[in-house]
Amino acid sequence: MAAVQTDQVTLTINGQSVTVPKGTLILDAAKKIGIDIPIFCSHPKMAPVAVCRMCLVEVEKLPKLQPACAVYVADGMVVKTTTEQVGKYQKDVLGFLLINHPLDCPICDKGGECPLQDQTYQYGPGASRFDFPKAHFDKSVPLSDKILLDRERCILCWRCTRFSEEISGERELALIQRGTNTIIGTFNDEPAQSNYQGNWTEICPVGALTSRQYRFISRPWDLDRTASICPACSMGCNIQIDARSNRIGRFQSRENVAVDDSWLCDRGRFSFPNFQRQGQERPRVRRNGSLEEVSYEEAIAFTADALKHAGGQVAGWASPADTNEELFLFSRLFREVLKSAHLDHRSGVVADAEPDDIALPIADIERCDQVVVLGGQGVIDAAPVLHLRLFKSERKGVKILKVGVTEGKRALDAIPAEAQAIGILATEADKQAAVDLQAKLAKKVKGSVRRLIVTTGPNGRGAKDLGILPHQGPGYASLNGRAGRGRLQWPGAGVKGLYVHESSPLHGFVPSDAESMWLSTLPLVVFHRFKASPLDEVAHVILPGHAFTEKYGTVTNMEGRVQRIRRGIDAEWVREDWRVLQQVANALGASWAYESVEEITGDLVRELPPYAAVNQEARVLWSEST
Amino acid sequence: MALKEVLLGPLYIARALATTFKHNTKPIVTIEYPERQKAVPPRERGKHILHRYADGLEKCVGCELCAIACPVGCIVVEAAENTPEHRVSPGERYAKRYEINLLRCIYCGFCEEACPYDAITMGPRYDLADDHPDKFIAVKEDLLEPLSASISDTAIPSGAPSAQPVARKW
Amino acid sequence: MAIKPLVTKDFATENLVQLKVYERTGGYTGYKKALEMQPDALVEEVKKSGLRGRGGAGFPTGNKWSFLPKGVYPRYLVCNADESEPGTFKDRYLIEKSPHQVLEGILIASYAIGCNLAFIYIRGEYLPQHDALETAIAEAREAGYIGKNVFGKGYDIDVILHRGAGAYICGEETALLTSLEGYRGEPRLKPPFPAIKGLYGKPTVVNNVETVVNLPHIVNNGADWFKSIGTPTGAGTRVWCMSGHVNRPGNYEVENGTPIRELIEEHGGGVWKNRKLKAFQPGGASMMVLLPEHLDVGLDFDAIAKAGSLAGAGAMVVMDETTCMVDAARRYVKFFHHESCGKCTPCREGTFWMANIFDAMEAGEAKPADIDLLLEIGYGIDGRSFCPLGDASTWFPRSVIKFFRDEFQQHIAEKGCPFKKQPQEAVA
Repeated sequence: MAAVQTDQVTLTINGQSVTVPKGTLILDAAKKIGIDIPIFCSHPKMAPVAVCRMCLVEVEKLPKLQPACAVYVADGMVVKTTTEQVGKYQKDVLGFLLINHPLDCPICDKGGECPLQDQTYQYGPGASRFDFPKAHFDKSVPLSDKILLDRERCILCWRCTRFSEEISGERELALIQRGTNTIIGTFNDEPAQSNYQGNWTEICPVGALTSRQYRFISRPWDLDRTASICPACSMGCNIQIDARSNRIGRFQSRENVAVDDSWLCDRGRFSFPNFQRQGQERPRVRRNGSLEEVSYEEAIAFTADALKHAGGQVAGWASPADTNEELFLFSRLFREVLKSAHLDHRSGVVADAEPDDIALPIADIERCDQVVVLGGQGVIDAAPVLHLRLFKSERKGVKILKVGVTEGKRALDAIPAEAQAIGILATEADKQAAVDLQAKLAKKVKGSVRRLIVTTGPNGRGAKDLGILPHQGPGYASLNGRAGRGRLQWPGAGVKGLYVHESSPLHGFVPSDAESMWLSTLPLVVFHRFKASPLDEVAHVILPGHAFTEKYGTVTNMEGRVQRIRRGIDAEWVREDWRVLQQVANALGASWAYESVEEITGDLVRELPPYAAVNQEARVLWSEST
Repeated sequence: MALKEVLLGPLYIARALATTFKHNTKPIVTIEYPERQKAVPPRERGKHILHRYADGLEKCVGCELCAIACPVGCIVVEAAENTPEHRVSPGERYAKRYEINLLRCIYCGFCEEACPYDAITMGPRYDLADDHPDKFIAVKEDLLEPLSASISDTAIPSGAPSAQPVARKW
Repeated sequence: MAIKPLVTKDFATENLVQLKVYERTGGYTGYKKALEMQPDALVEEVKKSGLRGRGGAGFPTGNKWSFLPKGVYPRYLVCNADESEPGTFKDRYLIEKSPHQVLEGILIASYAIGCNLAFIYIRGEYLPQHDALETAIAEAREAGYIGKNVFGKGYDIDVILHRGAGAYICGEETALLTSLEGYRGEPRLKPPFPAIKGLYGKPTVVNNVETVVNLPHIVNNGADWFKSIGTPTGAGTRVWCMSGHVNRPGNYEVENGTPIRELIEEHGGGVWKNRKLKAFQPGGASMMVLLPEHLDVGLDFDAIAKAGSLAGAGAMVVMDETTCMVDAARRYVKFFHHESCGKCTPCREGTFWMANIFDAMEAGEAKPADIDLLLEIGYGIDGRSFCPLGDASTWFPRSVIKFFRDEFQQHIAEKGCPFKKQPQEAVA
């Protein structure tokens, strides 16, 4: 009987048999059965280079030790990773790496989470036999305003230069000089411009590339780590909030292959100072022209009273950085309790949101054959990590067309009729152009044409899904002619009160000139927020709330993926936003009895069944087509 | 029986007094603490000292290894970066905040063992008493070696009382 | 045995660099004859001739050609003229004396593998040789040897001459290709081998200058004739660059299998100043040292390998009895440290470490344990580094420790070099 041809190969590693697909590296095959092979230069997202030589293992029938990070498995291969020869060699190579490493671990920010440190402990020699002066290089060289480079600590694994070449495609970092004099640097020592520099610090296996913001802030073992979502844009990159003594030290990436592919942009990564809390704050109510500190109960009673007074003419603006739970309560407060439809989360005019806006999942960009980025850099600026996905796709052979918003015709002409899968990316401001182009392309080509609209704010999509819009209810429901007014029309719409809820200074209510005039004449402005803003000046009630990084909840990213955010910073003296909203509603006659965020999520899913996706952190599918 | 005891009674008293008088002539082992203090052994593990280099710069780089080595978690260190204008230690990093809770400390000396720069050692001071727990949080200024050397805390205790206790209200 | 010149037989002819003169000596007849043959037959012929690559590894040239994947075009031929192994100067000689012979070899090889664009990567320091080749290419183009539809045979060929920038590592074939593409000269991961994915990601053959100069003669005289020269496993002749302490240093072409004694004593005129031979290196800076007892070994890849060294690039470095072997090793190690590209850890750091130890040894500051430390460092580099540069950096010092351990001990015991006490003479 002829052997069945499969794409699987079986090999033996340390006596254990493992079956993996063809084209797997020995390293990954070993990882699959829990065998640890030490590495420095190898990175799962980058092509193998085998420069650090740390991962050399014995492969039977091959005379030399083979780099596990660069040799692909073959059927019947016999690999040994723990032989005496390999063990001795691992000591040798760590010895080599350390002879020119300054060993200034006590002052190094990487100390404690350093692969070089860990592997030296696990595999390295106990002591150095090198008793000559080490090679000296510049220390703490500023590569940009975000990153410092310590050339002495660098072990030349090439991860950062390869990131710069293979992941971001910017080729900003390069190797200069050769031999022991090799250093990492930018062209002409000019400051690095990349928007993805923070990733260098994460992939660096030593403390050569460190963040200036996090410099000497903490030791890794002092950090409280909380899995959450990046608050900067609608990409929904998974982050880890690292806090020390209840202050955020840094944001680190957390791999989610479907969203961020383990990278973060600098805008998101270095955005955390916006969420640092200064001091304790109590609710305030304006009496006789000045704000007086009061208790929450008093402030809530005052707010409810004032809202009742304004009747149905109250407008509500919730930030696109609020959680779905808050937005759900906010929407119910207005629609059910206050009977007002003047709801909005937007800052300008954008085309109506539709479920079709998320037809193209982020990860599917790689599986398109043509992707039109309508608005070019504008789209990238709105969600920088998209660039990494686009560049990765481009390297895989996807044709990326970056065209201006008005140049849809160029894309239309450039895409051949036989294209199979086409994606269109645009910001929500340019949605109409994207829809038009999609219609034209659908006529021209045989394959599918899908679009992905980049929303604003980490929960801009959720705000649309939950109907924080004047003309659409939750789940894009029609309001049957009972639509309210949008934010831009409020000044002329006879609005008598405004309730603003925001939990992120990055996506706050920034009044335009016209709005400022209007706000100063408004009889009631309730400002429920995390951080002080100019709006405090005109507010009649200030209700302190939690920041994006201080609460539990869920947010929906641009592709409709519902992900959980968690409390990284404990600000327990501040009452939870949902509780305040519930107390305001109850003071107005409602009888909500939520005891936790989970209960609100449960209610939210009952009202909008597609949001059951929250349980898998999956995408919200409004219909079969998406 | 009783008569025998009565007769021997004075003898017993005399023997007891003899013991008493014998000790009167022996040297005194107690000292008048706190006016006088006993010398401590050279490796006494008393209150910690943060050392300086000869040029006055602090040895501590704020690496927090003492804090992690501490079995009771009584040390808090926060580091900061040296600048040319504000140089506290050689190199890049110094301890901006260095605090030891002396009430929680078990004086095990692990911090001393862990220190890669010999910046912290256990000193000879043992007479730690105060009237409020807050006063036992030793901050950097309390622990740091004074700028001019040869000050009590740093000197290795000799036979003489090494550390003059701070004058206290009794 | 008299010298039986093959590739250097016409080098006495005056003005051989000129195309006309070269043609008069029978030049380009091989190329013309090759063009009459089918490329596959030509590859077979070269395979049959037993020609082995002269670059250092001694891989059979015909086999190398036949590794090219079928039907993948374009493919490239790169002639490696980046001769930078200390002790070698034969490419320089071959190009300088007869650039057309090199060119003819390249054209034959190109035709055999079916490539339409050949590159010559010449060492940056070889400026006169570069100019000679440039003139030769221009002459050949003028004469119709290079160009579109050569002699109406429907074969297009062009040759591009590229100067390196003086890095030793670029003599390694993959580093050469990387450098040729315009990147840092650093070796590439193998596999894929250049034959599959070489220059610009296309199938590429890299042949040494000395390899290609044999081709016109093989085509002219046939594979059987070529095979009859030399030894069964090492057909043909080899140009040996003799340097060091001999009376007549220079390039000598001898038949493979000729005893080393003959090369040194007859052609080189023996060790200079009537001194005794201490050691010699048969393959350039990187190869292991051999002793006078190995003098009767034949000059052949396999025979030298059996004796414990490698023929490598074919450079005979002779050392007389006054040579300090520690110092010799030190110089070589420093060379490798300087030339290490820095890509892989063992080579970058290991050579640095060895160089430091040798410096200490020479300065009299070494410890007795350092000798074994050197061996251990060598063990950590050899076979572990990314490319052969790292491996090669350890071969000479380790062989020196093997044969001359006492000299190391003397350096340590006497706290300095015992040979420094005698006045040193400059090596010619």
